Amino acid sequence: MKDNFPIFKNNPNFIYLDSAATALKPNCVIESESEYYSKISANIHRGFYQTSQKASDLYDQSRQIVANFINADISEIVFTSGTTASINLVAQSWGESNINSGDEILITQMEHHSNLIPWQQLALKKNAILKYIRVNQDFELDISSISKLITTKTKIVALTHVSNVLGTINPIKKITQIIKKINPSTLVLVDGAQSVAHLLVDVVDLGVDFFAFSGHKLYGPTGIGVLFVKKNIFKNMTPTFFGGGPVSEVFWDKTILLNPPFCYEVGTPPITQAIALSDGIKFIQSIGWLKISNHESKLIDYALTQLSSIPQIKIFGPTKNRSGVISFVFKDPKLPQPHDLGDILSTQFNVAVRTGFHCAMPLHHLFGLDTGSNRISFGIYNTTKDIDTLIKGIKKSIKIFN
Amino acid sequence: MDDLYQQQIIDRYKNPKNFGKIDGGIEVEEVNALCGDKIKISLKINKGVIVDAKFIGCGCAISTAATDILMDLIKGKKIDEVINMSGSLIEKEMGIELTSVRKRCAYIGLEAIKKIKDSLKK
Repeated sequence: MKDNFPIFKNNPNFIYLDSAATALKPNCVIESESEYYSKISANIHRGFYQTSQKASDLYDQSRQIVANFINADISEIVFTSGTTASINLVAQSWGESNINSGDEILITQMEHHSNLIPWQQLALKKNAILKYIRVNQDFELDISSISKLITTKTKIVALTHVSNVLGTINPIKKITQIIKKINPSTLVLVDGAQSVAHLLVDVVDLGVDFFAFSGHKLYGPTGIGVLFVKKNIFKNMTPTFFGGGPVSEVFWDKTILLNPPFCYEVGTPPITQAIALSDGIKFIQSIGWLKISNHESKLIDYALTQLSSIPQIKIFGPTKNRSGVISFVFKDPKLPQPHDLGDILSTQFNVAVRTGFHCAMPLHHLFGLDTGSNRISFGIYNTTKDIDTLIKGIKKSIKIFN
Repeated sequence: MDDLYQQQIIDRYKNPKNFGKIDGGIEVEEVNALCGDKIKISLKINKGVIVDAKFIGCGCAISTAATDILMDLIKGKKIDEVINMSGSLIEKEMGIELTSVRKRCAYIGLEAIKKIKDSLKK
């Protein structure tokens, strides 16, 4: 599998354990971007020359490929610049006109800052109430508390599909059913940044109203993201960015915008990124979910066993029903802090891990991790040998600090 | 880069010489949100000269060791001089060359002291 990723040709012994931050890019994605610039390189829409029409066709096809990928309709897919932009779009285009003083927004304690700060700021601005679903000592959401947290004033629940720190997979379908049973008008937004590359997502089956994800964690390019909006929700939203592109008629005193999803894609969109994202999706589909799931389960089991065999290490995350994101720290504060371990692993073993708060500062403080944690995360290219080198590096770091 | 975690750094990290708080000292604080380093420095200043310097806080080995070294470096120096001090002096004293990311860890103490102008105004 490493043969598909040219970075390993340029850096043969590179061990990349940070796919939760961004996935490495396969040949097909890199070639797709390059091909657009060398053979097409035209802006989409309203160009009547051949390359512009070709660009428009490919951009439209990508939207269809994305829609099929998550079982949505093409009219429900908005291209954005990433998960963060997708969530902010909802907080602004939907939140501004639907959240009022005294309304409630429910999120969870395991959110990435991208699914926390937009709601926190909206709540502060609107004098709304921000509530949190707690994370229990098993590193899972306290599902039993949800029915008590939902009230007639709960306008939206925003939660992650997979925690980018704990690796916990949240039972979205079950949670959505609980929420909708108590208050059918409460909307559900899911941050899918950490799930789309690792498990099959079906937005209809999950029953969610919004689903956000990024292209670059899906083996695609940076700068492209997706927001799924359930069709009937668009009528309660208004665009907040205006300009060239999605308009049908413009007068001195008014403008008639195009219908959604197009009216949310103002200006020149990330054309090549959208096209290359569809090639990232095709890459995943060519491998297949069964193979991806078996590969990841094997890596997770192996990594958990190996890490647990080092007595100085404490893992933060569930042992079962989890994704390939594993965070850990040394129990003894005099052993390497996350930054020190990351430095040693990189400079002495060519191993890339993430260190710090992983954009989830309150969650780290909840577990008393004031200097953050070390996090490894897997992609399709990782092997158990990669984990062996990691373990060797961890043991060496303990030796240096002893 | 192999010698980043040389004995001096590990020793200073585990047992910093200047760890603590000066009663009645001027306190300044700095946070490196990137990695969670957080330190609080207290200084005793007499006629513009730093007569004692201590720090408390948590952080990585580099930030802790560098701040400990910095406390040694600034004792006996004029505060105005320290405020304008270059971070490269800390690196020189540590005997290592740091990457831009690790410079942020190593310079945290100096960044804190630069805030002292605001504390003195108050």
